Amino acid sequence: MNKLLASILAVAAAGAVQAADVAAGAAKAKEVCAACHQADGNSTDPNNPRLAGQHRDYIAKALRDYKSGERNNAIMGGFAKALSKQDIENLSAYFASQKSALAAKY
Amino acid sequence: MKRFALLIAALGWAGANGALAQAPQGDAKAGAQKIQMCQGCHGIEGWRTAFPEVYHVPKIAGQHSTYFVNALKAYKSGERKHPSMRGIAASLSDKDMADLAAYYAEAK
Repeated sequence: MNKLLASILAVAAAGAVQAADVAAGAAKAKEVCAACHQADGNSTDPNNPRLAGQHRDYIAKALRDYKSGERNNAIMGGFAKALSKQDIENLSAYFASQKSALAAKY
Repeated sequence: MKRFALLIAALGWAGANGALAQAPQGDAKAGAQKIQMCQGCHGIEGWRTAFPEVYHVPKIAGQHSTYFVNALKAYKSGERKHPSMRGIAASLSDKDMADLAAYYAEAK
């Protein structure tokens, strides 16, 4: 029982969302992501996904998976490995808040 | 040896180009007939994946069609690992993927 509680707490701690700094995310996006995804995340290259308006937690998961190698992409792996946990939170909050062509209801 | 490597590279390049040339054209109308399997998760606003990792399923309407097809292919090949998406993508032909990509790229 204690073990179960401990593992639940561990999962909760790992999943805890750090407060995101949208302005810091914007600055990081301009520096790291803009060349391929545009500064606001409305990518114009059809190979690169639109990030603007995407769900924040999905962007964060994608970045974590690229960082860990769970999602294997030579380009994104390189960028994600250079990001801190806080960078990932900031970038996800920033892109999720941008105006977008993406829609959820289809 | 260098020549041999060049030849292999050239063959690989030609092969990749051939595959691109043969990629089926997406038909949004045909895609509209194939979205039943997508809607259950991607058509419900705010829908989330299940334990152990809970997050919103991504918005796919309005996404670039090239990225869309590449994502489905990566699920089909096992390169991307989400279990539901692997199962669904495994059942899709290249034409299905192109049609769905065309449908969702136009859906806004």
